[in-house]
Amino acid sequence: MRRISGLAVVLVLALVVQRATPEIGHAGGSVALAIGFALIAAVLVGGLVERVSLPRVTGYLLLGLICGPFGLNLITASMARELGLFNGLAVALIAFIAGLEINIERLRPQLRRISVLGLATLGVMYAVLLPLIWLAWPWLPIAPEASGVERAAFALVVTVIVISFSPTVTIAVIAENRARGPLTELTLAVVILTDLVLILAFTLAMQAAAWASGSGSGSGHDVGMGIQVVWEVLGSFAFGAALGALFALYLRVLARELTLVLLGLCVVLTGLGAYLDFEPLLAALAAGLVVENIAPPSGDALKRAVERGALPVLVIFFAAAGASLQLDALGDLGVVALAIACVRTAAMWLGSAAGRAWIGDHSLEARWLWMGLVPQAGVSIGLAVIVASQYPGWGTRLQTLIVSLIAIHQVIGPVLFRAALARAGEIGKMEFEPTAGSEGSGRSGRSGKVEEVEVESA
Amino acid sequence: MDYREAGGADQLDVNLREAAAPARLRAIDFLLRTRVALGLQPVTAPAVLFVPMGFVLGPQVLGLLPRTVLAHLDPAVTVALAAIGIFIGMGLETGDRQNRRLLAAASVQALLTILTVSAATLWLMSQWGLRLDLAAGVVAAVLGVAASVSSASAPDRLGEAHRLITRIADFDDFLSVMAGAVAVAAIGATGWGHGLIRFGEVVAVGLLAGVAGWLLFERAHSVAERGVFVIGTLALVGGAAVYVNGSPLLAGMVAGICWKRLPGRADRIVRNDVSRFQHPLVILLLMVAGAMVELTPLAIWLLAPFVVFRLAGKVIGAWAAAWLVPPLRAGDLAAYLLAPGLLGIGLALNFVQVSSTEVAAAVASAVALGTLASELLALMAAPGAARER
Repeated sequence: MRRISGLAVVLVLALVVQRATPEIGHAGGSVALAIGFALIAAVLVGGLVERVSLPRVTGYLLLGLICGPFGLNLITASMARELGLFNGLAVALIAFIAGLEINIERLRPQLRRISVLGLATLGVMYAVLLPLIWLAWPWLPIAPEASGVERAAFALVVTVIVISFSPTVTIAVIAENRARGPLTELTLAVVILTDLVLILAFTLAMQAAAWASGSGSGSGHDVGMGIQVVWEVLGSFAFGAALGALFALYLRVLARELTLVLLGLCVVLTGLGAYLDFEPLLAALAAGLVVENIAPPSGDALKRAVERGALPVLVIFFAAAGASLQLDALGDLGVVALAIACVRTAAMWLGSAAGRAWIGDHSLEARWLWMGLVPQAGVSIGLAVIVASQYPGWGTRLQTLIVSLIAIHQVIGPVLFRAALARAGEIGKMEFEPTAGSEGSGRSGRSGKVEEVEVESA
Repeated sequence: MDYREAGGADQLDVNLREAAAPARLRAIDFLLRTRVALGLQPVTAPAVLFVPMGFVLGPQVLGLLPRTVLAHLDPAVTVALAAIGIFIGMGLETGDRQNRRLLAAASVQALLTILTVSAATLWLMSQWGLRLDLAAGVVAAVLGVAASVSSASAPDRLGEAHRLITRIADFDDFLSVMAGAVAVAAIGATGWGHGLIRFGEVVAVGLLAGVAGWLLFERAHSVAERGVFVIGTLALVGGAAVYVNGSPLLAGMVAGICWKRLPGRADRIVRNDVSRFQHPLVILLLMVAGAMVELTPLAIWLLAPFVVFRLAGKVIGAWAAAWLVPPLRAGDLAAYLLAPGLLGIGLALNFVQVSSTEVAAAVASAVALGTLASELLALMAAPGAARER
């Protein structure tokens, strides 16, 4: 009750302030106001939707949607644009967290199985979705005027984003349900490894799109484009790995103020990476991989830092994404998004079945794997944001389509994954109390109240 | 010392002090401390280090902090100002008679300093042949308010007398924040009524944010969520205040008072969570202030009068305050109150936020440089007072 009262007070405060200053208020003030309002209200709405078994991310998006320019306009269009400053930081953070989840040593015994299942799923999804998107291109409200090579390149970009999965939602659902077992491990590994492949594929697809549309730095020159791709992919990995090594050294030697240092690392990965033409997603993923596999931290310090740092950044990221959603366009795109979601899910099922048949895997976890791959969230939005920033025209329309697609997958994805975990009997098998997930899904206590000692001891 | 305007000891310093760096890094241990860098802490205040650093990195010298970046940092400055206001509000403990007497003495001292500096500035402006209109009055008032704050940031080794002086330095922030909010509300106001409404809006923002925080902090489901509520409330209180062209310091102070007075642990939660990022915010605030310094003729002309009038105001104010608190000697009090801390810079930055004019920029520059000069004066004066005792 106190939380709902708190939400009501925050809403009243935002309404009073905006009504008191009908003209656009001070720019710095409006950004801070939007951040404050989005943080508090989105977390509270996330908690409310969690009660009806939906993931918190859905609540963050919903809050942005309701309070955005097409709703109550508490987060105005200019505020939503200014909140977009967090996009780069959030994308890097999501990729870094995904990298931290890939422990090559732990995955090695299952590597063949994971690779085959993952790559078969990806392959079939590509085989089904790419031709379909290319054929349906003139009717898709993205860039119907594109034709020839340009149309093929754009379709490639769209397909990669449509296929992408969500490590963050997967981790959040696992943490929320305290799940542990073969299905949990297999799903997590496949989601992360396939996203790694997808990020690489996205980099290549973007280069192809830049070349085809003549907007890339190597436009019109195959050799230039090749060098650019090599620089972007290898350079991003090297850059991220170097920063990851520095961060690992810091973790070993000092390990102080980790939350701030982690956010600082993501800012450097994004800002300096963009300046050097590196792909922030790849660089951050490489940084996470290096930290986890070469210099793994001892203790829970990094996990706590990730929890503290990730939650506010991701809340703003998703709330801003919801607020940026063009509802008028969504009305037109709803049917298209629903159709794509159906085809994507069917292709996913087909792909995992093909993988199972290939290696003769008849286990339950392999059979239900596809149900854990349905959710889409941060990585997909992150990729769409990159396209929108590079191609403000069709990229923005694509972003709207992707957000509506994510909205559908956010509703059905976690529900499907939870059902699979329940069938596999893995819910509640985690022996220890989970810490809050990267999207704030976990709880430190069931009483709904943080233990008093946490305040007193700090 | 916990509720001082900078919010107490730097967590990085504290951590490093508790658990020193590994042996291989011991030689460079001192470099790892933010405020101990160059061996200045605790001899001097953070402003002496970080304002010049900001100036060097800013658009006037190296250009590593260009104006576009400074504009992007404005929300962080807003949050930092709100955080300072919250600490001031939570530090207002007026429960016993002695504290009430100290608050009265501090307010008298601050009021006399404001009046001295403002009146002297207006007189100087008239001597320069400037028109004494509302804008001139606001400039004089902002300079007076920025001059009125004190930190008494001397080593804590003088026992009871220094404890009282420190409390006075804490309490004088109350009147300075109130007066600063009035000056900011007057900017662009169409009349007294409009100015009053603006002031009221900021108080309402502080109250509503205070109530929201009180309702939420203790009902967080996880430590991470609680952190989000605290950061969100800070941004909300500061952002809403600046959005209505008001003072985030006042809104933060009102919220801080709410959390201190309302039942529960809201004040301790805020203190605990804000301490994690409050020093980086303070450093950011000072570096932004340094980067915004422009050595224009007006700023240079305002600098010397600001320092001299502040010195005179502090001596007059300390004399009156010492009369209200008999154990204190006026000389000691004046010497220790010379150190301005960072609140004056915060007040000036808020002035720039609300009034983006060349005059506001010149005033902020004069206050930032005047703060440095006053800190150096305090360095010379305070040890003398200590020796006398």
